[in-house]
Amino acid sequence: MTEAVLRLEGVTKRFGTVVAADSVDIEIGREFFSLLGPSGSGKTTMLRIIAGLEVPDLGNVRIEGRDVTRQPPYRRGVGMVFQDFLLFPHKTVAENIVFPLRMQGVPPAGRAEALGWITDLVHLKGLEGRFPHQLSGGQKQRVALARGLVSRPKLLLLDEPLANLDRELRKEMEVEIRRFQLELKIPFVYVTHNQEEALTMSDRMAIMRDGRILQVGGKLDLYHHPDLAFVAGFLGAPNVFEGKVTGLADGLAIIDWQGYPLQARAKGGLAVGQRAVCFVKSEKIELFAGTGQGRVDGVLRDAIFKGQYADYLVHLAGAREVTVSGPPRAELFAPGRPVSLSWSAEDGDAFPAGG
Amino acid sequence: MRGTFSIQVQLLALLYLFLYAPIAYVIYVSFQKDSVWPFPPDFTLEHYADLLHLRDFHAALVNSLTIGIGTGLLSALLATIAAIGVLRYASRWRGLVAAAYLAPLFIAHLLIGIASLMFNKQLLGLPGNIGSAILANTTYATAFAFLVVLAQLAKHDWRLDEAAMVFGAPPLRAFWSVTLPLIWPSVLGAVIVSFLLAFNNLEVTFYQVGARPTLPTLAWGELRHGVSEELYALASLINAAIFLFLGALYVLLRTGALRLDYRD
Repeated sequence: MTEAVLRLEGVTKRFGTVVAADSVDIEIGREFFSLLGPSGSGKTTMLRIIAGLEVPDLGNVRIEGRDVTRQPPYRRGVGMVFQDFLLFPHKTVAENIVFPLRMQGVPPAGRAEALGWITDLVHLKGLEGRFPHQLSGGQKQRVALARGLVSRPKLLLLDEPLANLDRELRKEMEVEIRRFQLELKIPFVYVTHNQEEALTMSDRMAIMRDGRILQVGGKLDLYHHPDLAFVAGFLGAPNVFEGKVTGLADGLAIIDWQGYPLQARAKGGLAVGQRAVCFVKSEKIELFAGTGQGRVDGVLRDAIFKGQYADYLVHLAGAREVTVSGPPRAELFAPGRPVSLSWSAEDGDAFPAGG
Repeated sequence: MRGTFSIQVQLLALLYLFLYAPIAYVIYVSFQKDSVWPFPPDFTLEHYADLLHLRDFHAALVNSLTIGIGTGLLSALLATIAAIGVLRYASRWRGLVAAAYLAPLFIAHLLIGIASLMFNKQLLGLPGNIGSAILANTTYATAFAFLVVLAQLAKHDWRLDEAAMVFGAPPLRAFWSVTLPLIWPSVLGAVIVSFLLAFNNLEVTFYQVGARPTLPTLAWGELRHGVSEELYALASLINAAIFLFLGALYVLLRTGALRLDYRD
């Protein structure tokens, strides 16, 4: 991370008895930063506080070093892309896009030039004269992005911008939005509950729950090294095993699950004799045809072919079903076949149960 | 059933007959020589000529238009501000505030007229005039205008105004470039409704204008000598003006020169 463009210091906001932001500290540089969390975790409130649409009860918001906590939105110089696009329905595409420039008093020649540049960047050439109701969902999305970026804001805030698009379009826009950030070097703060979007586009991300930031870091770091059970369970498609800790050594825990000694990294101050939950991401489990020594035995219930890879649903002891992702192998497309699983100890994460 | 028209069409025709027959009759009579028993028809324009020569007709027309336009603009302005306040600022008193705006609907116009006369004259020492007539009519017209504006404003997406503010528009600028272009049809509706109420008002206006004539007070004065033929002409002209206005509005909307709604 280079110098911080946005800095939140101890930002707290309550709505009645609901704590939407609980002393949040974040620093964001010229990067793609995602706030990822389930709905109701306070991520949209965080975005509204950054934009100036909400004033925090406590704490400060700094943009480029300046304290803007009490500044109204129209003096902050940030751009925003809203969930329902919120294009001005009475204005054409061109008028919508240059609206921020008009508000800044940019003369018509400058607006026309910027319009040409941004419509080129976001591929909207030829649609300038249309009204929002004449556009498709994807086109509206591009107009919203163009309006957010046209004035080269200090920050671009994106509030679940892809939530209303169908899957195909979402995939396409993920790549596009990432490209805009890389080309313009403007910090993007992206709010989503969709981990795929966050993992695809971000440089760094923060996991939020109940108004608190649980963990911040590079996306690979967060994905592979979760500090908390919630983070481990939220990212990827993890399988969960719950059992008693029977041994601890070198930061690894041995957990007794249905008579199998499972190994995982011990986290959160795990102690021998304690109950633990162990998370293993589906793609980190290795699947073997037939039973084997030192592996967890099971029966293949189904294999789901996804093209580049396959999801194998394996029935284990105790009516447990786990998902294993891996390369499609012809011999494993045989429901009912006995199989066995294993993973290396570093690929599991064990946390105290109930934490 | 052998009927050419469905029962719905027949009911609709009956409803229109109920609504428009009296008005059509007045228009018909205004062109008849004998207004008491205008059958068989004997067409003439002399009542219109008489109307134009009626003493005070021009002054009454100008006064009524002034009161109507003044009340229309003032009521719509106040009602729009009131509706925005009620809708945007969440408060547990919201219902009470809205009800207080509507209260004048339940007060007899005659009472509003007398009350404003007494208040102006005895407490403020102000003489009645066209200005005070505008203010007195605005009291109840604002309530109607408030209902008209509130109905459409309730559907307005205020997040658009937030978006405008994020993109650099101070509140007034946001209102001017985003809110107003989207809500103007309801504001115009409020202007029209309160204009018509004040333009046609007798009871409130009567106590404010003193000896100055308006069309309703003129008609009221004329009535004391029986229903004169000029009144039929006057009623027909006012109706014609209103129909022409609404017709023009319809044509503008149909041709797309004016737009009431933006589908999204």
